[in-house]
Amino acid sequence: MNDTSIIGKSTRRVDTTAKATGEAHFSADLYLPRMLVGKVLRSPHPHARIVRVDTTKAEKLPGVKAVVTGRDSTGEKWGVFRYTQDMQFLPADKVRYIGEEVAAVAAVDADTALEALALIEVEYEELPAYFTVHEAMKRGAVLIHDAFADNINIHVKIDVGDVEKGFKESYLVREDTFNAPEESYFQAEPYAVVAQFDNSGNLDIWSPNAGPHLKAKPLSNCLRMPLNKVRVRKITIGGAFGGRSEISPADVICSMLARKASRPVKIAYSREENTIATRQAHSMTAKIKTGVDREGRVVARDITCHMDGGAYSSTGPIAVSVPFLCMEQAYRMDNVRYNGFRIFTNKPIRGMYRTHGRAFACGIDLQLDMLGEELGIDPVTMRLRNARQVGDYTPTRSFVPSCGMTETIVKAAEASGWKEKWGKLPPFHGIGIGCNSVQTGFPMGIRGGSEAFIKFNEDGGVTVISGVVDNGQGNENMLVQITAEELGVLPEDVQLITADTEVTPSDPGSYSMCETFVGGNAVRLAAEDAKKKLFALAAKTLECDPEELVARERKIFVKGEPERSLPLAKVVRMGLSKGLSISGKGAYWPKVDPRREWVDNPTGQLSETFSFGTTIVEVKVDPDTGLVEVVHAWASQDVGYALNPRVVESQFEGGLAMGGQGGMLTEFHIFDKGRVLNATQLDYKVPLACDMPPITNIIVETHDPKGPYGAKEAGMSVAMSAAQGYAAAICNALGVWIHEFPLTPDVIVKALEEKKVKG
Amino acid sequence: MMEKPEKIRCALRINNEDYDLFISPHRTLLEVLRDELQLTGAKESCNEGACGTCTVLLDGLPVRSCLLLALEAQGREVTTIEGLAKDGKLHPVQEAFVEHHGIQCGFCSPGMILTAKALLDENPHPTEAEIRRAISGNVCRCTGYAKIVEAIKAASGKEI
Repeated sequence: MNDTSIIGKSTRRVDTTAKATGEAHFSADLYLPRMLVGKVLRSPHPHARIVRVDTTKAEKLPGVKAVVTGRDSTGEKWGVFRYTQDMQFLPADKVRYIGEEVAAVAAVDADTALEALALIEVEYEELPAYFTVHEAMKRGAVLIHDAFADNINIHVKIDVGDVEKGFKESYLVREDTFNAPEESYFQAEPYAVVAQFDNSGNLDIWSPNAGPHLKAKPLSNCLRMPLNKVRVRKITIGGAFGGRSEISPADVICSMLARKASRPVKIAYSREENTIATRQAHSMTAKIKTGVDREGRVVARDITCHMDGGAYSSTGPIAVSVPFLCMEQAYRMDNVRYNGFRIFTNKPIRGMYRTHGRAFACGIDLQLDMLGEELGIDPVTMRLRNARQVGDYTPTRSFVPSCGMTETIVKAAEASGWKEKWGKLPPFHGIGIGCNSVQTGFPMGIRGGSEAFIKFNEDGGVTVISGVVDNGQGNENMLVQITAEELGVLPEDVQLITADTEVTPSDPGSYSMCETFVGGNAVRLAAEDAKKKLFALAAKTLECDPEELVARERKIFVKGEPERSLPLAKVVRMGLSKGLSISGKGAYWPKVDPRREWVDNPTGQLSETFSFGTTIVEVKVDPDTGLVEVVHAWASQDVGYALNPRVVESQFEGGLAMGGQGGMLTEFHIFDKGRVLNATQLDYKVPLACDMPPITNIIVETHDPKGPYGAKEAGMSVAMSAAQGYAAAICNALGVWIHEFPLTPDVIVKALEEKKVKG
Repeated sequence: MMEKPEKIRCALRINNEDYDLFISPHRTLLEVLRDELQLTGAKESCNEGACGTCTVLLDGLPVRSCLLLALEAQGREVTTIEGLAKDGKLHPVQEAFVEHHGIQCGFCSPGMILTAKALLDENPHPTEAEIRRAISGNVCRCTGYAKIVEAIKAASGKEI
């Protein structure tokens, strides 16, 4: 147990009062003097050579201040890795999906900008286009990118142990193939960027981001300018869910317009643009073959996965790997082979998504249920027998320093009344379980660590400077709670300067679930550094050893003797009077294996620690309509330690809504020849308040040895296992295994009809 | 060049203040609030009346400001999120959202809070089902709604 006064308490979040009053500004809320409106011209073709772009008429339209096309691009291409740099924002050669940016205009108002777009003439030469993995990989298919043969973007190959031998020794082997289409992030805030250049060539840019430093570098590359002139500014962010980790075409295009017009420019995407032209989650086919022994323990597993990568590489190598890595963490498997392919198609760009591939996660877990059924073993027992344990190494050689997988299973099963319900519920009433595990950070090379500074004012007030970004999950509050705890001040004494690349030191960003672990640890260390200086000063006056001191409630006192104390502000002033200002510096670099590489060397410590989660769901299905009523959900995760339990619960609830309720029941994209047919809010069905079931949150704490106060990633293992729990519960209610997700009414009714035919 | 409609006079009363504006007649209330008055608490998201982030109160009732012409709001009392806190003190509904963690990214919060206020003004003690129905036109992508419902219950004085 931690002896803490602020950490571990459900304090009010420091950022939410401004959000409740409308005071918090999001990117589209910025109005700068002389600011122009930017609009983007998009490709109507899925795959076409750009023969000619004529902007003459648009440029002559009164009120138009800048027009940019591929000709204005530096030609630098974006990709997370050197070998995936394939996307030129504003392409000059060809377009690769419907909606790709071709030109952009900055004008005095939106109407003028839209009128100017209509005056831009683009001549295309259409090319054969591919909308499925199968078509794109066919022999003789035109290459979407010349450098990638057979349109294979990424192939991740992992082979551990002896898979063939494992299958031979297995008591039971099954092979199943699971499919799921694309999903949308559907962040509440549509993408918006404001950019301006000053006369010294400094860029100020505001946009939703899951890592300002992650954005600054590609901006500096694409715009060919020094990194310290790219100032990604702090702004309130309306959700990310994995989708705002990378630079967006709009960031670069808006900057190009601002540079050309010498005026600030705002591009605010419509909901449709946010769906089509930011990023989407990959669609996926996962072929899974699993062999188990008589007791249901997995002996061997062979997985081949094909992901529709859309038009560009994006975070491809990571996106292909993470679905597998999550499951190799969650469950023990000694002999395992994984072939993950990411294939280029002429569909919109894709990125990392909170639930990392429904077909994969639900496939692995449902198949455990199928195997269990044949063996006569119930799903909870199947999971307990395969659950990852502390001290294990994963197949790709990550040590697991803390692990509450078993505890999450046991507690969720108890809370849900699993024993009383499994096999005993009436027809079309079911219960199911899903388990998953998520990384607390990825190997990110020179961007992997976070640094923080702390300074004191003479009245005892504290300012924290950190690159940590808050996308809505509560990261700012996390920094304040840690600082206040360490320094013995109150949350209201702490000011934050965060997520501004001009001021804040580098930080990996919030996209790899590492902000608490990495950024939080950096701030904790900075606070410890400052505290050491305070204690050295106070110890002299209080005539004690610095080790005996504690800081709490704005006071420094001798442990167990609160009357021997000094006000913290006084100690700060004592320092100043001696020419010593109190400040602190801290940095945290997670211990990951720097030699690990997603494609070339997928082995070694992936993340310093991992979270583990279980979701159990109880459902009723109407067999006539295929509609699912979720009776109750139990979400359980090992978060290491809950720094703020209410914030952690909020992550569970939001994760369950996105991964389970939306991800397994209603959310998917429909395409017609590469065109997204359901891009709008009315057509893409995200969960509403009236849809959500009652949720029981079960926080499991294993006190990670390295996490700040034992904390690690919070909420992602629920988001993922929720999808699995929903799928399992519905299959249990129907008495039929379904291999296509999400489980929409038509899928359910079809499965029931097929079952009837089979008898 | 397309012909632009002539700007006309539009008198609005927003948060107990009078505004005398000249606007293009096709401007929505949301556009005027944001672009002319920089009252950016009302957000633009779906622009088709489906997400609720642009919700403001018109004579106390929630409306989608993206679907309402600014001219139609003349002679009515418009309340935006900026008008809810009084004398530096949060409105009880705002207070409950903060206290009960009903806010994460905050993008839906202004619309959600105004909708909740309108509900409680009309029905001070709603059931959970009534709360969920009332806010079902306001989409939140972060919270799963659990703590929002809890906050509204708390603001209504109900036990949680």
